[in-house]
Amino acid sequence: MTETDERTNDRHTGGRHAARLALLAAAAGLAAAPAVAQDVEYVTGGDGSGNGMRIARTAAAGPPGEVWLPTGDFANSRYSELDQITTENVANLQVETTWSTGIPRGHEGQPLVVGDTMYVVTPYPNYLFAYDMTQPGFALKWKFEPHPDPTAVGKACCDIVNRGASYADGKIVYATLDTNVVAVDAEDGSLLWKTRLGNVEEGETTTMAAMIVKDKVIVGNSGGELGVRGWLKGLDLDTGEVLWTAYSTGTDEETLMAGEQFEPFYPKDQGEDLGVSSWPPDQWKLGGGTVWGWISYDPTEDLLYYGTGNPGVWNPDLRPGENKWSISIIARDPDDGQARWAWQVVPHDAWDYDEIMENILVDMPWNGEMRKLLVHPGRTGFVFVLDRVTGELLSAEKFHQATNWADEYDLETGYPLVNEAKRTHLGQTTFDICPSSTGAKEFVPSALSPRTGLLYIPAHNFCMSYKAIEANYIAGTPYLGADVVMKPGPGNYKGKLVAWDVAEAREVWRVEEPYAVYSGVLATAGDVVFYGTLDGWFKAVDATNGEELWKFKTGSGIVGNPITFLGPDGRQRIAIYSGIGGWVGANAFESISADDPTAALGTTGAAADLKKVTAPGDLLYVFSIPEQ
Amino acid sequence: MMKRFALTLPVAVSILTLPACQPQETTEAEPAPAGALMDLTGRVMGTQPGPDRPLIEVDNPYDSTPNVLQEGRRLFVWFNCYGCHGGRAGGGMGPSLRDATWLYGSADQDIFDSIAEGRRYGMPAWGTKLPVEQMWKLTAYIKSLDTPMEPEPPPPNPVYPNPPPRRDIPGVTAGGGGGG
Repeated sequence: MTETDERTNDRHTGGRHAARLALLAAAAGLAAAPAVAQDVEYVTGGDGSGNGMRIARTAAAGPPGEVWLPTGDFANSRYSELDQITTENVANLQVETTWSTGIPRGHEGQPLVVGDTMYVVTPYPNYLFAYDMTQPGFALKWKFEPHPDPTAVGKACCDIVNRGASYADGKIVYATLDTNVVAVDAEDGSLLWKTRLGNVEEGETTTMAAMIVKDKVIVGNSGGELGVRGWLKGLDLDTGEVLWTAYSTGTDEETLMAGEQFEPFYPKDQGEDLGVSSWPPDQWKLGGGTVWGWISYDPTEDLLYYGTGNPGVWNPDLRPGENKWSISIIARDPDDGQARWAWQVVPHDAWDYDEIMENILVDMPWNGEMRKLLVHPGRTGFVFVLDRVTGELLSAEKFHQATNWADEYDLETGYPLVNEAKRTHLGQTTFDICPSSTGAKEFVPSALSPRTGLLYIPAHNFCMSYKAIEANYIAGTPYLGADVVMKPGPGNYKGKLVAWDVAEAREVWRVEEPYAVYSGVLATAGDVVFYGTLDGWFKAVDATNGEELWKFKTGSGIVGNPITFLGPDGRQRIAIYSGIGGWVGANAFESISADDPTAALGTTGAAADLKKVTAPGDLLYVFSIPEQ
Repeated sequence: MMKRFALTLPVAVSILTLPACQPQETTEAEPAPAGALMDLTGRVMGTQPGPDRPLIEVDNPYDSTPNVLQEGRRLFVWFNCYGCHGGRAGGGMGPSLRDATWLYGSADQDIFDSIAEGRRYGMPAWGTKLPVEQMWKLTAYIKSLDTPMEPEPPPPNPVYPNPPPRRDIPGVTAGGGGGG
């Protein structure tokens, strides 16, 4: 492996020529031997860095001017080395092109950019569009239609979303809502393979962005609100064959935690068949722990990382025990799925705090020693910092001060110190739990800049009352046992962008927003941070202090993730989806009534006012600074 | 010319055993005009879009009494309807049932059919799982939403205290049942 601590300025901004060369080299390498050890380079803050952060990057993530992964890079940093757009000139950004996808539902996720082509996956029915970026306005090259089963529409808990595709080896790979994974020829849009992974009739759907790791496609399921059993699968990139399945509940054989290699750091996570014994008999079969967020991959440890969702049923009194491996962060070998370590973030969840959030992999000095860290800004309101080699919890501090379900984490035991007054119980209503089930942040991904050492967290500020009631399991229907009403949290804001100093575990600044911040974040080497708002503003702020530098009003609320890339002319672009939806954003839809605050699993009580400020949309926007 | 009768007989028989059922009247229709095309049931075929098959027009055998509506509400929660359609049926995974939009028709029979047969976008078919009487009670509850008769109306919405009236049912004052 080679190590380049400081990339030269040419590599940052080398333009299309260098990018194309890198693309060709990477493509050739992949075609020859997809599973060989990868050359790792490190992205650092360069001269702008005072904190010594470095982020691993391999050729499989594509050249810096392109976007091959839904997460930008395997580290999930959502940091781009592109630096043509700066704090000085970002105010000159203008719309270069827009495209309507024709599907006015939640546009979560982000486009891909491969060579001269941009790829966009829509919400159900999960069209894939390819746009020729060399043509004015980005001409449509082709459209691929997978025709998913419409039954899936009514099984998806939180709008009919898709969080993106991955590119490798000439293939665009993504999951459709009905649990199929498709690989599409990136050149001509033809279907190469299609594999069905789950059962829609029983409530399984797939919304996460399929992630290509080496020669495997990594996909998990959604449906934690319907009593499904969570899993993560590894598929052969060439054929679509399922090579391994790692369930989130069940025996060690089924969770792929049987080997001696599996060494959880904390005693609480050690033992045999915890995926069975931490549940009432057979309840693990309906135990949730679905996998619908982001996948990270560390090429130096050859481990992938992900988080699992809430346990089924919601009502905690119906499932005594710690309910493993719901709400856990797990490290696995991408080749065979075998687990290396796991840490359950919330044992015996009582609030629906899925922790499927992004796990950002960064190396940095920690108490004077360079360590391989995993940074996880959580739905629970805490930022967790773990040693990603061992799974040890190094730090857990609240980034959302209203958080009251737990006071703190015990770093010795790995347990949260739960505020029992806020634990929900059958037959009673627990008031003013903060954050709400939607968390202090949702799945919308943060960005990390090695130049500032800051983590930029898209957060929101909801609390809830939660009445736990009896629940019946009926396959293919919600399995909740909870009557939830959310409401705005304390303070006169419902959303915020939090700039968090990872080393010092404290907020440095924040931008408050009137509505939940439900878009992803992008940080760039130009020290610009981009994010969108539910009332449709796309904003650029100064990465060092949060000062607003530019904003543009898009046609609908933003729940997608900004990307940046180099166009065929070598100039830097920014792209974002504008199309409100998702669990919170769906409150802008006509199909949800403002007069029922318990609607949409309780979010209507905190978000129905979106109807007054936005409406459904389906737009792709691309911005650039006009040539002088 | 055949005389056209509303096809009520099969269901009328089945609901005669229900406690609150009301006798179904067969209504005599106007004779069809000469040359009119008729469908298999003897109805005049029109050009307006309609249901997939001729509906058997039946009103809910249950009156909207508080007991019936409360029981419908209980069933709405018990069979997990609330998880999809919202705690007070304001929508979510499935559409709102308390707004002015009826995707598949607002007649009692339309609502009953949606429950019994399911709908394309994920609505399960309950017809083989629930007794007919429970589906009629659910139908009554759904029709009561956002009316003064609604049992357990929703609490006020803190971020939307005065939602506009959504429902327009002849003879019923809208908005009396919920929304604060």
